[in-house]
Parts: sequence; structure tokens; C-alpha cells
Amino acid sequence: MRTKVSKNRQMHKKNKKVSQKNRNLTKTYHRDHREDDLEQPEDLERLEHFELFDERETEIKVRNVTMEFKREKDEATSLKELFVRTLKRQRNYEKFKALDDVSFVVRKGDVVGIIGTNGSGKSTLLKIISGVLKPTKGSVEVDRSKIQLLTLGTGFDYELTGRENVYLNGAVIGYTKEYIDKKYDDIVRFAELEGFMEEKVRNYSSGMVSRLAFAIATVRDTPEILILDEVLSVGDMFFRKKSNARIKEMMRGGSTVLIVSHSTSVIRENCNKAIWIEKGILKSAGSPAEVCRAYEKKNG
Amino acid sequence: MKGKKSNKSSDRKKKIDNDQSREQRKQYFFVIRELTSREIKRKYSRSYLGIVWSVLNPLLMMTVLSMIFTQIFDRAIENYPIYYLSGYILWHMFTGATNAAMTTLIDNKNMLIKVRLPMEIFVLARVYTALVNLGYSLIAYVVMLIVFQVQIRLTVLFFPVIVLFMLLFSLGVSFVLSTAYVFFGDVKHLYSVLLTLWMYCSAIFYPVDRLEGPIGTVIELNPIYEYISATRSIVMYGGMPTVSDILKMMIWAVVMAGIGYYIFRINKNKVMQKI
Repeated sequence: MRTKVSKNRQMHKKNKKVSQKNRNLTKTYHRDHREDDLEQPEDLERLEHFELFDERETEIKVRNVTMEFKREKDEATSLKELFVRTLKRQRNYEKFKALDDVSFVVRKGDVVGIIGTNGSGKSTLLKIISGVLKPTKGSVEVDRSKIQLLTLGTGFDYELTGRENVYLNGAVIGYTKEYIDKKYDDIVRFAELEGFMEEKVRNYSSGMVSRLAFAIATVRDTPEILILDEVLSVGDMFFRKKSNARIKEMMRGGSTVLIVSHSTSVIRENCNKAIWIEKGILKSAGSPAEVCRAYEKKNG
Repeated sequence: MKGKKSNKSSDRKKKIDNDQSREQRKQYFFVIRELTSREIKRKYSRSYLGIVWSVLNPLLMMTVLSMIFTQIFDRAIENYPIYYLSGYILWHMFTGATNAAMTTLIDNKNMLIKVRLPMEIFVLARVYTALVNLGYSLIAYVVMLIVFQVQIRLTVLFFPVIVLFMLLFSLGVSFVLSTAYVFFGDVKHLYSVLLTLWMYCSAIFYPVDRLEGPIGTVIELNPIYEYISATRSIVMYGGMPTVSDILKMMIWAVVMAGIGYYIFRINKNKVMQKI
């Protein structure tokens, strides 16, 4: 514990130096700073103040986020059933908390790994951060226009040709037509699919499909906030090397990255910070080594 | 990317915001176009004639119905094929739009969860697809107008307005159905029955003046019939719909679209959770 704190101090000193170069006013913030970069809610007020002067610091602020799903116990799947149950007053709800009062702060340039067992609320958290879901309580402060969720093959249609899918998939994940026109050749080259683009994707092998999907998803300039749901590496051995390299390049391009993973080795290798969520509760947060050790101990 | 340069003058920032929202709208429109072209390509992906079917289909339907009904309604309707076709293409747009839009949220579940696109886009894309299909049907329609030597008058220029109203109406219904379908799969079956009933109440293939009493009233109140009869009057008889008819069409369109969008919006979050 002690070593961790002192390490943090060092980090903050470094931070201080950098920001002092910019503005003297940042001092107020660094006074009585708690352990690690993860802010307690009380500190957030000050953070807000702080942001005015140096926007390099916080990128994502998650405040007391709670996500509740109302689940009906064996839900009615037809109108008739619903009707009958409503009449009988048999509709009992069950509240289920996917996230319970989760708060943390991500700084610009952080590579944060989110770890946890299946169904622990990791993906829900990502959806809330990226704005797909609205939390029941709490809030997330982040510039949503900076966020890119890296997804493979969203909206791929097997009845269309490779070329048509590039445009469809590209449009869906937010590329403009001009951008796709410009990058089209790069995509095809990266996917190693020259000469197959006018074929229907239905006739592709699964490796070809994932290569194409990967090429489309990663052709963009690295966004400022990159969200990865599992680190993606696809294709055969050779392509996997290539795709891994591309992902690393993206992650180390100076942008803020959130990775969700089950694998502690992925997080140890790539992240500078880790968050462990278990059954919707933030169990621990801090350096990847420490969090991963705790996680491994718990899950044997 | 444009927002990168941090500048403090709020004027410039505002301008950038404006630029961004315009760009975003452009992007959304691009997505809608891509989704639409997917729908259309997909629909005909395994057929040789492809998109030609969109033209051929109304013609064949017209032929079949004409063979059966021309004899029966000979005295009541002059130019039965055109009478039928006018109703059919509009009806087809309505059913095409609503049926496709109903399942759109479930069909595109994956995209909805993974990509940060407004949900409306998927509904809009399906309705837009129906509009494009109507465009192809119009080719058949125009050909038939020429074949049957219908005298085309200036009133035809009002047609786009009717289509716009009807499109808005369909959009409203689509919003409601797509929301409902997320929660209850039954809606699909229920709606198909309702559509059959609705079709018979829209006087697509029979003359309306034969019906009196309650059914007659129902038809009079039916917005779809309103649109269809207005189209017939401007195309076949060269008469503009009355002001009250136009108002009725407009109110139906605006109110339905408003209600539909409202229902869609208040349930947005619930839909996302359910999906």
C-alpha cells in the first residue's frame, strides 16, 4: 500500500510540473489529493473548477452511476398473457442493479482496463459511457463526440458485395461518404481482399469477413477516446499479428482508451490503470498489477 | 475533428457547433441512404430481374384484379385498371413502410446496441425504402396512364403533396408499431389482420358509392381512403380535393406523426433496456 501511495505522489509531482508550466492555478487541485487517480465524489466539485484551466486532465467523469433494470419475473411475452396477468395482478417486478453507485475518473491519455466476470456490468458501463443507455441515477460527463466504440462488422449484410458492405458498415460506424471513397483502397489492401470486393460476402470465408470488418473498423485516425469491448484480433496467424499491431498502435497513439476484458494478461500488458467491477459494484481500482492480483485471488 | 482547436470566442464555437450538427445531419442522411440501398438490394438479391420487380409487381397485380373485377364494376368505374392502380401503389407504400418499420428495431438490434446512432434512423430508413419503392411503382403507373390514354392535367402537380402527407402518416404509425413490437411480438400478427380489414375499408378495388350505412361512414373516416381518393381525383378526373379534404389529410398526417414520435421518444430508454 505504502509503495503505491508514494508512486502516486511521484506521478502527481510530475503532473504538477507539467501543469504548472501551463497555469499556476492548478495547485489548488493537487492539495490533499486522495490515493490514486480515482476521485471520490466530493472531489469532483473541485475538478470541475480545475477543468477550466487545463483540459488535458479529465476525459471521462463517472459519477455515482447506478443502473437498474426492472425485470418482470418470467415476463409476459404476448399481449394475451400480459392482459391476463394484469387482471390477476400477477405482475411482480424484480429490480436488478447492473451497476451500483460506480464513480471514477479517467484522465486524458489513460489506458484503462475494466475487468470483471461475466454479467458483472462491464458492458452496461461501456454503454452508459458511450451514451447508448441512460443511467437510472448518477451521470457521466464526457464529450460524446470524441468517443468511438470499436466494433467489428456492425450491420454487415451477407447478401451484399464486399464493396457495398464497406460503405454500409462505414456509414453505420460514422464515416462520411467522402472519407470512405478516400480510404477504400487502403481498406481493401489491409484486408488483403483485392479482387474479391465485387463478390457477395455470403461467399467469403469467415476469415475474410473478419479481415474486412477489422480493416473497416480500424482505418480511421485514432479517435480521442477509444472504447474496445475485448481486444480484437482476428484472422489467421499472419493477419492476427498484423491486427494486433494495429490495435496496439491505436492504443498507444496518445488517445484515451477503455478496454473491457476477461483476461488479466491483456490488461497487465496494455493498461496503466485498471478497474474491477463485480456484480455492479466497483471492487477496486488502481494500478493494473494490483487490481489484477486481487481479481485473480478472488476468482482463483 | 474541427473542434480540436480550442478557441475561447463563443462565436466561433457556435459556428463550429453549427457545422458539426450540419455534418451530423449529412452523416445521418448518408446512413439512411446506405440502409435503404441495403434493403432494396437485399430484397431482390436472389432474383434475376431484381429491381424490375418493383415495376412489374403493380402491373401484374393490376392485371389480375382487372381480369376479375372489370366485368363486375364495369358501369360503376370507368378505367378500372387506373382506378385500382392509383389505390394500390399508395396502399402498398403504406403497408410496405409500416410492416418493415415495425420490425426494424429488432432486426437491427446489433447495430442499435453497438453504434451510437439515433434510433429514429432505422425507422426512417425503412419508411424511406417504401418511398423509393413507390418511385419505381410510379414508373408502372405513368406507363399505364399513357397506355390507357388518361388525359393528364395540371392537378397532377398536387400528387407530391399527397404523398408527403401519406408518408408522414405512415411514419407516425411506424413509430408506434416499431415501439410496440419490441415489447410484444404479437403485434405483428395482430397488425396483419388489422391491415386486411383496413384494406377492405380503403376502397382500393371497388367503387365506394355502393356502400352505405356504417361501412360507408368508416370509409369516409379512413385517412388512407382520403389519400387514395384525392389521388384519384387529381389524376383521373382533374379535380382538386376540397379545402376541407386537404385539411383533413394534413391533420391526419401531422397528428399521427406527432403522436407516433412522442410515443417513440418516451419509450426510447425502455426500448434500449429491453433490447
